[in-house]
Amino acid sequence: MTAQQPGVQADDDLVYRRICTLLEPLNQKGVKLHRDIDLVADLEVDSVSVLDIVMDIEDYYDISIPVNTISETKTIGQLVDAIHAIKGQQS
Amino acid sequence: MSLFDKFEKTAALYNQLSEMGKNPFTVVMEEVLGPTRAMIKGRETVLAGTHNYLGQTFEPKAIAAAKEALDNEGTGTTGSRFANGTFAGHKRLERDIADFLGMKHCVVFSTGYVANLGAIAGLIDPSEDAVLVDADCHACIYDACSLSGAETIRFRHNDPDSLDKRLSRLDPKFKGKLVCIEGMYSMYGDTAPVKEFVEVAHRHGAMLLVDEAHSFGVYGKTGKGVAEAEGVMDKIDFYTGTFSKALAAIGGFVASNHPQAEYLRFSSRPYKFTASPSPATIASAGAALKNIKETPAIREALWANAERLHAALTQFGLRLASGPAPVISVLLPTKEEAFAAWNFLLDQGVYVNMAIPPGTPGKDSLLRLAVSSAHTGDDIDQLVAAYGAMAEAFQAARVTA
Ligand SMILES: Cc1ncc(COP(=O)(O)O)c(C=O)c1O
Repeated sequence: MTAQQPGVQADDDLVYRRICTLLEPLNQKGVKLHRDIDLVADLEVDSVSVLDIVMDIEDYYDISIPVNTISETKTIGQLVDAIHAIKGQQS
Repeated sequence: MSLFDKFEKTAALYNQLSEMGKNPFTVVMEEVLGPTRAMIKGRETVLAGTHNYLGQTFEPKAIAAAKEALDNEGTGTTGSRFANGTFAGHKRLERDIADFLGMKHCVVFSTGYVANLGAIAGLIDPSEDAVLVDADCHACIYDACSLSGAETIRFRHNDPDSLDKRLSRLDPKFKGKLVCIEGMYSMYGDTAPVKEFVEVAHRHGAMLLVDEAHSFGVYGKTGKGVAEAEGVMDKIDFYTGTFSKALAAIGGFVASNHPQAEYLRFSSRPYKFTASPSPATIASAGAALKNIKETPAIREALWANAERLHAALTQFGLRLASGPAPVISVLLPTKEEAFAAWNFLLDQGVYVNMAIPPGTPGKDSLLRLAVSSAHTGDDIDQLVAAYGAMAEAFQAARVTA
């Protein structure tokens, strides 16, 4: 729907912010979040919780993110990029 | 060394618990006393954390059949179903399961885990098919998806609308679509709205697989499972099950009305590359199946025990995951409390399962009581007394906490 190229930066930022908001309640050690944070190693978020967060993202943006894609991402930044790529394809 | 590094943190915790002698994951049944009792740490304990729903572990007819098979056919098949591991007994059991379920075809696998791997990975071509899986499905269904290599989409637990949305969004390039759900879910004891899932799946041209591992023999008017209770036995495409719970043996199966289900015998690697269940195993599973089919009173006893335990635990104010079911789970807010409560019950002579995230559906930890038709009045009294004491000792386990 929206023109893709100019939207990328701002949109990317929104996806990032949404993920951080969803991660906050799971961030028990109070780690400062940024794109290079590893979900499992740094945040100690378990794999099922990551899938649950992704489910919220899917419903918010009305997209489907395959489990295969999620298991290939380790950091917040990789997750943001993957979601962004799928948003581009499916909208 | 580096192969092991990633385990060190978990290993430290595991070893610490084991050294304290309080690790729920290293329990040994030192001596088995019967279908609902064993010696644990030198103490006679009521077993309420098994899957012996229909109490068939010591069924005399099943034991006699297994002994006969052992004498007549030997200890093992020494081969896979595909090669030298199919005996007359395997074929007979496939027929008996199909007849029991009222389905046309049945393929027996080595375990329930292997049956799901075999069905899903055996049906799916990653280059043209997609799988949609309930969020709370068992690990073996997710492992099956990995093995298949196909695009796997997770939908919200027991939510047909969530599935509907994901099927609508699915890329039209996918030719085949398989939806996977379970009958009764083993952690919370909740059941799937199978009828609604059938409608949604078929409306989108997808096939539906229902894993009734925990509900086979237990749900439905004649024990066929949740699909029977929902009146849609004839509409589900694939039914998977296990011998390791209601039938108290080891093995698994896929049943279907589609004649092409027989193709699994060559398309499914988990059918071809692991040994088939031993003759004694097949014989005891067959005898247990016959017994539960002919004796509805066994299922009735299970449900009577489940109702009684559920009512008692409700009265203690415990926070329960679902209504009366053969699995009754008490929810606890933290791992530490679950761990302490589990140990408390064991000290009272009661063994249940403890499950903690990520092995549980939500953020809660839980103590899982699995009911058996074989639980005696004494067993139930002991369970009720132990849970009553636990409710006193653990505020966190109660609704009002
Ligand atoms: C839903 C479900 N499917 C399959 C299995 C695997 O069954 P089996 O023990 O026969 O491998 C289990 C049990 O652990 C289960 O809970």
